[in-house]
Amino acid sequence: MTLLLVLISFVCSLALGQFSTSPDALVLALIAYDPASTSHLIIMTERLPRAMVAVLVGASLAVSGALMQSLTRNALASPGILGINAGAMLFVVISAAYFTENVPLSLIWAAFLGAATAASMVFLLGRERGSGSSPLRTVLAGVAVTALCVSFAQGLLVVNQERFGSLVFWLAGSVSGRGLDSLWPLMPLFLGAALVCALLTRQLNILSLDDDVVRALGQRTGLVRLTAGLVVVVLSGASVALAGMIGFIGLIVPHIARALFGRDHRWLLPACTLIGAALLLIADIAARFVIPPEEVPVGVMTALLGAPLFLYLASRKSQSL
Amino acid sequence: MVLFTGIVWATPGSASEQTAQTSASSQPPPERIVTLFQGATDNAVALGLEPVGVVESWTEQPMYHYLRPYFHQVNYLGLETQPDLETIALLKPDLIIGERGRHQLISPLLSRIAPTVIAEQLYDFKALLKLIGEAVGREIKAEQLLACWQLRVTDFREKMASRSGDGWPQEVSVIRFRGPSARIYYSGFARSVLDELGFTRPASQQNSGWGINLTSRESIPAMDADAIFFFMVDSDPSVMETYHKWTQHPLWQQLEAAQAKQIFRVDAVTWNLGGGYIAANKLLDELYAHYTLDPRKPAASMKDCCQC
Amino acid sequence: MNNNTIVLRTRNERLALRLSRHTVRVVAVLGAILFASVFISLCLGSHTTSPTDVLQALIAPGESDMALIVREIRLPRILLAVLVGAALGVAGLLLQGLVRNPLASPDVIGITSGASAAAVFLLTIGGAAQGSPLLPVAAIAGAFAVALAILALAWIKHVTPGQLILVGIGMASAMGALITLMIVMSPDTPAMNAYLWLTGSLYAAQWGDIFGLLPWLAIFLPLAISRTRHLDVMAMGDDMATSLGSALNLNRLILLLSAVALAGSAVAFAGGLSFIGLVAPHMARNLSRSGATGLAFIAAMMGALILLYADLIGRIGFAPRDLPAGVFVACIGAPYFVYQLYRMKH
Repeated sequence: MTLLLVLISFVCSLALGQFSTSPDALVLALIAYDPASTSHLIIMTERLPRAMVAVLVGASLAVSGALMQSLTRNALASPGILGINAGAMLFVVISAAYFTENVPLSLIWAAFLGAATAASMVFLLGRERGSGSSPLRTVLAGVAVTALCVSFAQGLLVVNQERFGSLVFWLAGSVSGRGLDSLWPLMPLFLGAALVCALLTRQLNILSLDDDVVRALGQRTGLVRLTAGLVVVVLSGASVALAGMIGFIGLIVPHIARALFGRDHRWLLPACTLIGAALLLIADIAARFVIPPEEVPVGVMTALLGAPLFLYLASRKSQSL
Repeated sequence: MVLFTGIVWATPGSASEQTAQTSASSQPPPERIVTLFQGATDNAVALGLEPVGVVESWTEQPMYHYLRPYFHQVNYLGLETQPDLETIALLKPDLIIGERGRHQLISPLLSRIAPTVIAEQLYDFKALLKLIGEAVGREIKAEQLLACWQLRVTDFREKMASRSGDGWPQEVSVIRFRGPSARIYYSGFARSVLDELGFTRPASQQNSGWGINLTSRESIPAMDADAIFFFMVDSDPSVMETYHKWTQHPLWQQLEAAQAKQIFRVDAVTWNLGGGYIAANKLLDELYAHYTLDPRKPAASMKDCCQC
Repeated sequence: MNNNTIVLRTRNERLALRLSRHTVRVVAVLGAILFASVFISLCLGSHTTSPTDVLQALIAPGESDMALIVREIRLPRILLAVLVGAALGVAGLLLQGLVRNPLASPDVIGITSGASAAAVFLLTIGGAAQGSPLLPVAAIAGAFAVALAILALAWIKHVTPGQLILVGIGMASAMGALITLMIVMSPDTPAMNAYLWLTGSLYAAQWGDIFGLLPWLAIFLPLAISRTRHLDVMAMGDDMATSLGSALNLNRLILLLSAVALAGSAVAFAGGLSFIGLVAPHMARNLSRSGATGLAFIAAMMGALILLYADLIGRIGFAPRDLPAGVFVACIGAPYFVYQLYRMKH
């Protein structure tokens, strides 16, 4: 059923937009592509890459969030809140502003570096003396790191007023403007991450139990944690390099998935992939129609949708999973 | 188009509105001028002044190439958005020219330093020229310059009409590539000059407002017109990337203007950033050359014109 | 009363402040440093002024340009930096005590974001010019609105102080999204004005700003300091607090109100500065182990010093450009964070 949702959203994303295209144009574009028709052109060269980016980024962020929530046993963990997206964004902005190219492939290393740096900062800051990490403190550390990165990026924007437009793009998030040729080089990364996740599901299931039980079962928690952390960095970094800062997907989707499919990672992770993709597609479609004829950055849409849910989650009795 | 300008005079210690005539006759005309935005700098130079302090230009820093020949001893005051107040004070100016959108905040401070004129808007260079002319006591020169401009405009329109016949007036779009998006201008410096010259705009661009920001290439068809003039600041790599991606897109190739080979790149400084009388005339020069019109005009009427 | 403390009492002995000698020493030293820094900043700018000229400009007002520069351009700006920094430092300390978490601050909890959202709204959709007198009003109103919303949510749902932060974070994110939306929808000049405001800048500070800010500080700083001892009590846990006889909820409310008022008014006049409220209390705690009252003084001074130097760097580091202080506060705050991490590991 979720698959159906994803498919419908995908089709809608292809069909709707500022330039009105008819449904049969959509079908024809996919089957009998005619380069001379404006409708076909728009569908295949603009909306298709856009929808694909949305699917990939949405899925990555959702899985990333699920992993983080399982790893830290913190219901509020997600790449956006814990500063990982912000760290990746800051490094991407710096390299895009000062080191020429804007191609995701060359920015990806900056994104990884940024994500890893932010992750370690948050991890270290979130520890209380003695007892390890507390959920609240980790979230606060994440917020502090996010604020740090965003204020540096905003500062760059003020110093470099000529580069204003492109920096706003990164800060606000957008899935449009990426051609399919920038996606292909990143596909191996996404597929690799998916593979690693598939392999890790059993370990992750064990990890979400109590610490003592985990130790008793003899699992090498450190290695699993590290691998999962690496996957998070890769997925988040790639997403940021492609689409800028898009928040809340990593937060909301795992909760929805858990409500529908339970905690078993063998079901949870694929569910997150699908729901994340659908959510971002829907947000992107909505972003096209809020203030016509201009578009709202999709990061703003997800934030507007996600903030109320965050507030609800925050005011619950307990923040641990 | 309603042309609206406001003048705010403030002398140290008092904030009263005076007419230009009274001040011009009671005090010697200001010589040390500080201009706090690009259009003011351009217009001041057009009136024959060399300001003692100007703000940096947006590109070709610290000052656009076309204005540099006129500057010998000018002081740069930093960015237009945050000019350096201390340097302004130390320059001991007789007149400071600012703009409401950017300098409203500091106008009380500026008034303490020197008489300050705050222009209400940026894009109407003719109103700006008159404003500055009155402020510096060169109203006659300003009138002359505007008369010259009018003659050139009339000449251009006549020549275009006779050249293009039915094809006149021509529908044109003004586009800029900026950052990851492109924008169509509905108003602004270039658009208003083109409107004055008689060019029209496509039906889809009849809205009010400054223009529109296009983030998706889906909207490329909205740019279509008989001719498209575009500009960009190519020192920014993301702008160049956007330019390549958009112009290589099939939708761009399908524009009527593209098929008729009527898409032209023009100079960003003249068309967008300069904002004054000299820039306007250079824009007109570019158009004359572009449409291969003879720029020479009937000699009799243009004797006093500085642009001949 | 032992030899290590000094107690200041009002005449009728109704109000008393107890400070350790150590704290008083630290405060005195910081005060001297602050005074010297103010003076040094007055001498520096696009053009360096000699100390004698500065003194002359201050004491014997003439109409020379230097007097104008020192009195009208530099002095208000430096004083504003001191006042805003102090207000944010104290606000941060209060909040950290109230929610019992050292990583809280006005920006994290959403108060700064609320003020920013209101100001950005005015600047973009409201079409206000930069110097509009409505801006500070809107900013303070925004700060209070967010605080009210957080309190309402907390009251309805009976949240613990820890959860209060999370609610605040949610608010901050929502505000952030709104702010981005408003900026994206605006043409260039209002958008750039909004970003300048968001980063936090003391450019073009004038005496009117000082007079606008001073009443807020004059009321809420003493109010806060008179109640800060309750923070120490609160830190021991709610049960202990009630049994020690401090009226818990009223004091909490007053402290929260003071924090919001201080942070809101500071941000109203200096833009969306962040980090000072986070970092200044930490620095204070590193300098002295005293109770909250002493820490409040120290945090105020550290906040003032941070902003003063950040603004100084912005003013003279990149001449002739004048860069917003907010950028450099982050530059000072980040290394401090790293230093904190280093200390925590060892």
